[in-house]
Formats: sequence, structure tokens, C-alpha cells
Amino acid sequence: MKSDAAPATVRAYLDELRNALKGASPGLISDALADAEEHLQGEIAANPNKTEAEVLATAIETYGTPQEIAEEYRSMEAAIAGPFPKPEQKPQNHKGFFGVISDPRAYGALMFMLLALPTGIFYFVWAVVGISLTIPFFLFIFGIPFALLFLGSVRILSHVEGRIVEGLLGVRMPRRLPAQSTGETIWARIGEALADIRTWSSLLYLLLRLPLGIIYFTLGVVGIVLPIALIGGALFDLITGESHVHFSDVPWLNHLFHTAPGLVLLMTLGAFLVFVVLHMAKGIGWLHGHLAESLLVRL
Amino acid sequence: MADESPHTRKFRKELMAGLSSLVLLAVLARAGREMYGYEIAKAVKAEGEGGLIFKQGAIYPVLRSLDALGLLSSRVEASAFGPPRRYYGITDEGKRALSEWQGAWKDMREFVDDALAAHLAGPGQGPAMEHHA
Repeated sequence: MKSDAAPATVRAYLDELRNALKGASPGLISDALADAEEHLQGEIAANPNKTEAEVLATAIETYGTPQEIAEEYRSMEAAIAGPFPKPEQKPQNHKGFFGVISDPRAYGALMFMLLALPTGIFYFVWAVVGISLTIPFFLFIFGIPFALLFLGSVRILSHVEGRIVEGLLGVRMPRRLPAQSTGETIWARIGEALADIRTWSSLLYLLLRLPLGIIYFTLGVVGIVLPIALIGGALFDLITGESHVHFSDVPWLNHLFHTAPGLVLLMTLGAFLVFVVLHMAKGIGWLHGHLAESLLVRL
Repeated sequence: MADESPHTRKFRKELMAGLSSLVLLAVLARAGREMYGYEIAKAVKAEGEGGLIFKQGAIYPVLRSLDALGLLSSRVEASAFGPPRRYYGITDEGKRALSEWQGAWKDMREFVDDALAAHLAGPGQGPAMEHHA
């Protein structure tokens, strides 16, 4: 209520709101900014014969000051995280090593690892083709709209990726596309996008996703196939009575895997690996979620 | 509401915390179609009682939480001008919640009115409260 200089533009309002929300989760901040922008732009559109400053002066009365709005979002986040089950809840961390088997986050992360290769290839190709076409196109008249189109596509891809990351890795990401400046010249919009560090970090993320995707995918496939092969192979050998495990260089191992206890041991190892793989997936999911949050979320 | 004491502001906020969900469900149920935030904000204001008691900005986080609870559903649609809009519609679960909450609100209002009436009538003269409790 006691803001000395009330913001006179939507941009200024959003900046002040962003300041007031400092420390909240990035996803919450961008939700709040998107809501405020939608509302204030709506207010401006509904009052075409007033200036932006006039509209804002009354809008702040009815919509609320940035400080009040920040408080609303903070208390709402606290209320939702409290009584209602949310993916971010802690208890699952205390189930010990084997508890991971019932942790949906671990399976989500494994799924993400498998998806990471195809999406990574797509992002990479898109970004590289986009960059390498944008630069020469600037020689021509259609270079400018093309650059705008490409930057817009980067924002949309980043948003889609954010939705995937939130869905599978459980890291809160923006639920809305970030605000775009409106009503300015095409040059101003390009300049603004170029000056926005998020444009560059999003591009970096899209490029980085290919090598990361290759690593994730490989680890994911090996992590799924290896335990299945160990358990399934040993089970098959136990049932059929013949061993397909051969270690010609290590006679005692070769011998062990021709005996029933040896095969049971192999199965146990396979089962143990399942837990190791789930933990690995969860760890990678956590790391990647935070990488995505720091590169994709516009603050 | 320029010169309200912090106590009153806090009290209003606490009252509104639950009631805003009820009001928003009612608005969306009455509209019978999907509405976006700004439209809902205007509709709430038009409902009468609202006005400045209820800062329009406060409805957005409530809409999001109702959405998260499954009482509302939402989808984002690009708009011709300005940022994309999020449209909210009431779900069947939301309609059920609304009718239950209306009952709860009626009980609560009668209870509070009785308590206040008893208070106005003076101490010792308020049997109304005992009837209800």
C-alpha cells in the first residue's frame, strides 16, 4: 500500500512485482507475472481512450499493488504445499535405499532420460538450423521477420521443455509463456529479445540438450536392459538347466554361474541393480531439473 | 479502505481466504462457460458485494489453486492482442464442492449472525447462541 512511486507502465509494474517476489520459486514468480500481465493488458485493451499510466493508476487500486499481489501468491503457495499432497513433498526421501522403488519421481526421471535423445536431437537441429539461417537472412528483407519467428520458436520450445521437465522431473517450471512486449516496433522487439539473457540461455540449453540427451539415453537404456538381462537370463538358465553365461577366462566365475546358487546370486545382483538404476535416474533428474530451471526460467 | 487498521486488514484477508474459492466457483457455475482471468475479475466485481473488498489480483492465485485441486479445469489460448489467456471452467467435482460449500457457508453465516445478534442484545440475553451450539 505504501509504494512511494506507483508504477506507471505494465513493465514497471511487473518489475516491481518480480522484486517483491524475490526468493520465491521461479515457477511461482513467472506464474504471478503472467497473471498480472494478462490482467493489466486486458485492462488497457478495455480502456482504449486512456493512457497506460491512467489505466495503471486505477488498475493498481482494483488489482492490487505489486506488494499485495506478491503476498497473495506467497500465501497461496504455502497453503497448497501444506495440506494437499504435492509432488514436492518430503516423506518419500526417508524411505531409505529400497524406498526408491515406489518413488514416482525416479520413474519419471527414467522416462525423461529415454525421451531426452529424440527431443535433444530435435532441439539441437532446430537451434542450429535457426541460427545458421537467421544470420545470412539478415542480408535480405525477410531476415527480420525470420529472426523474430525463430526467437519466438525458441521461447515456445523452452516452454514445452519446461512442461516436460515439470511433469517428469517434478521441478516447478513456469506454467505460462513469458511476457512478450507488444505494440512496439519490430526492431525494438528483436533488440529486446537479444538483450534478454534468457534468450541466450534458452538457446544454450537447447544446444546442450543433445550431448546430455545422448548420455541420459545411453545410461537409461543400459540401466533398463542390464537388470532385465541379468534377472531374465539367470531365470531362464535356472528353468532350462543350461547356462548361457560364459567367462572362459575366469574359470571359477564360469563354474559359479553354472550352479543354481550362482544363478540366484546373479538374479539378486540384477534386482539390486534395479534400485541402483532408479537412484541414478532420480539423481540425474534432480541435477537436470535444476539445470533447466536456471537456464529456462525467465526471472 | 484507506485507513483500516492492520488488524482489520488481516481479518479481512483471513475471511476472504476461504470465501474467495466459494465466490469463484459460484461465478463460474453461474456463467456456465469457460472464462479467462480478466473476465472473471470483472464478473466478481459485478456480483455486487465484491468491489474493493476483494482485490482482483487475489483471484488469480485462487484460480490456480482450484485448478490444482481439480475443482476447475483450465487451458491456455493465444489471444489476438497481448499475452495468451488462461481459460477456467468448473468441473463436476467443482460443482459438487460448490453445493456443499454453499451449505457450509449458510450454516456459518447463521452461526455468526446469531453470535453477533446476541452480542448486540447484550451479555446474558443471548439464548440464540445456545440454540445453535
